[in-house]
Amino acid sequence: MSNFKIWMASNWRLFLAIGIFCLIYGTYSFLHPAGGSSRLFVQNSNESFVLISVAMAQTLPVLTGGLDLSVGSVMTMINALASNVVNGSPTEVFLGIILCLCSAALAGFINGCIIVYGRLQPIIVTLATGAVFMGIALFLRPTPGGEVDGDLSFAATFDLNEIFFTYGWPLPEWFENSLGLIPTPVVLIVIVVLVIWVPFKNSVTGRGCYAVGSAEGAAYMSGLNVDRSRLAAYTLAGLFAGIGGLYLALQTGSGNADIPQAGAYTLNSIAAVVIGGTSLYGGIGGVVGSIFGAMSLRAISFNFRVFDADGPLGFISDPLLQPLFEGSILLIAVSAGAARVFSIKNRLNLFGS
Amino acid sequence: MKNLLKSSVVGLALCASLGVTGVAFAGPTYVDGPGALPACFTPWAEDTKFMQWEKKEGPFKVAVVNGFVGNSWRIQMVQTAKAYVEQPEIASQISEFKIVSTGTDAAAQLGAIEDFINQGYDAIITIAVSPTGFDRAIRIADRNDVVLVPFDNILDTEAVMMVNEDQLLMGEMAANHLIKHIGNSGKILEVRGLAGNSVDRDRHLGFRKIMEAAGNEFEIIEVVGNWDDGQAQKVTSDALAVHGSFDAVFTQGGSTGTVRAFMEAGHKFVPTAGEAENGFRKLIALHSDEGLKGLSMGQTPGLGAISIKAALSALNGEVMPQLISVPIPFADYNTLVDGENFWSDLSDNFFTANEFPPCDVNISAIEIMAQSKDDSQ
Repeated sequence: MSNFKIWMASNWRLFLAIGIFCLIYGTYSFLHPAGGSSRLFVQNSNESFVLISVAMAQTLPVLTGGLDLSVGSVMTMINALASNVVNGSPTEVFLGIILCLCSAALAGFINGCIIVYGRLQPIIVTLATGAVFMGIALFLRPTPGGEVDGDLSFAATFDLNEIFFTYGWPLPEWFENSLGLIPTPVVLIVIVVLVIWVPFKNSVTGRGCYAVGSAEGAAYMSGLNVDRSRLAAYTLAGLFAGIGGLYLALQTGSGNADIPQAGAYTLNSIAAVVIGGTSLYGGIGGVVGSIFGAMSLRAISFNFRVFDADGPLGFISDPLLQPLFEGSILLIAVSAGAARVFSIKNRLNLFGS
Repeated sequence: MKNLLKSSVVGLALCASLGVTGVAFAGPTYVDGPGALPACFTPWAEDTKFMQWEKKEGPFKVAVVNGFVGNSWRIQMVQTAKAYVEQPEIASQISEFKIVSTGTDAAAQLGAIEDFINQGYDAIITIAVSPTGFDRAIRIADRNDVVLVPFDNILDTEAVMMVNEDQLLMGEMAANHLIKHIGNSGKILEVRGLAGNSVDRDRHLGFRKIMEAAGNEFEIIEVVGNWDDGQAQKVTSDALAVHGSFDAVFTQGGSTGTVRAFMEAGHKFVPTAGEAENGFRKLIALHSDEGLKGLSMGQTPGLGAISIKAALSALNGEVMPQLISVPIPFADYNTLVDGENFWSDLSDNFFTANEFPPCDVNISAIEIMAQSKDDSQ
């Protein structure tokens, strides 16, 4: 096989995810009166950020062949924590953010330790720890509220120009109408991917996660540190989920230990991972695909806001049928990833690429 | 002063970043009352502030951003809102009407609100999934002169116009009804709603305030029925098994189930205050002669329609109270009329309270049911 073919064979799932996203989001942008404008990108990236974070979090355990049912709870716990600590003087805000991120990573690390050293099934462990994290969230924030630094909230949830305006920094003129219009949440996601995911994926521990997911026995026999890869995967899952919780606190300016919301995020994170092309059996996929998976999932519900109720497809936007159509489109998108099964002669071929 | 400076810098920066010209900061201004249509848009309390938006030219684009769908109340709320905007008088004021349900996810709900603002809608009605976290949405709405109206589950803020019913008063009305029929002493069953919810808390507090006032000698037994017919019936049966008999009942919801439990236990009918389910009203109509002296009142799914009316009124430049207390719709065993405020041929789960003469909002059950028929096609 040529290099291009090999490259395509290992990345087609990612391109499929990007394709699905472009199709769904393109329809929305086309129908939206403000389609393609900077403020619409800001709004869309804002409402997608938290789901993207938990989807990234879910990807790592899934890559190792596990599942993390606590991502929504960790997100909610950090959201509740942030509403207590991310305020006050700039130093306090900074320390608060560090505390949130460390707590998130610690929560993930605890998951990892119980799974690796307790030799228990990830699904059971994270179901239990998820309930514990939810309890901590309720303890930290029994009723919705709290306070999050207002300036930081504004700076993080608008475009790059806003950071300069909020903090009164001089803004270069060439910047204002070009790069300055990029939504800050987009930049944050790119930073997380470049600073955390890419180096991790290329490290021995990161590649170990893929190896553990494809064939744990083979990975062990090849001398990879299986335990370390697993621990790293769950710790990073906690960290990514915590970034989502922190962002939700900035976005809403408050904390809310909302149990149904935590559950919804956990389930949606799994759906996003699957649309993003990561195999639930482990070993195939990646965080970037999950980002597009999460955005596709969000973009499905965007469309309900712009469909003309009196048009030929107006019935889709019926408020009582929306969950039905959301689910159906999700099912079609997930099935598209598995369509290859129909065209192969022998199912063993599936393991070839 | 420092804060003021800071916020004005932020405000200016916002305008600059979005290329907004003209007025530096739009949105409502606080004015002196009284407001428009005080019989319908009743201010919540004496110190409720009044707001006024700049008058806009209609017709208007209106959106409803619902949280989750999944109980009959929410479904009926959506259908009532749709039926309301189809009434000729309202239809002429509205050029576009859209409803979305965003689930229990705060980020998605905030996004949907912002989306409709970006689409150029004039008013957005919403049932908030969380009482906090809407500051940003409110600020963006104000900046674009969009009237945002949370109702039913309202926000902990004074910066937006909101619509609800006074749950405390509802509890007091229930207590007064029972006292009127059984005097100042007796054994009472109180069937409560969803624990931790502010509606349950307030109805309970209002009820107890009157029942426990000086001069009353009541023994009150409390059970939790979660506003659900099945659960209310079960806990009422349990209470009857343990305590034998009661002189009167206050049930917050699942009222049909509560009464059924009394019937199945062979208990005599007693004065009962409950919600506005059709089934409960059917039972009152059938058995009021036998002692089921019922009072039926409720949180109406018509709140959505009234919120739309409030939004339209605000868009027309009227002075509006910041927190609107919608009159509580109620009927008792003397005022029930089949086909008017209950329907013996409709399902038990239908919420009957849909007519608000002071608000000129009258959506008959027939119109609401016609909506549901359209939906299934």
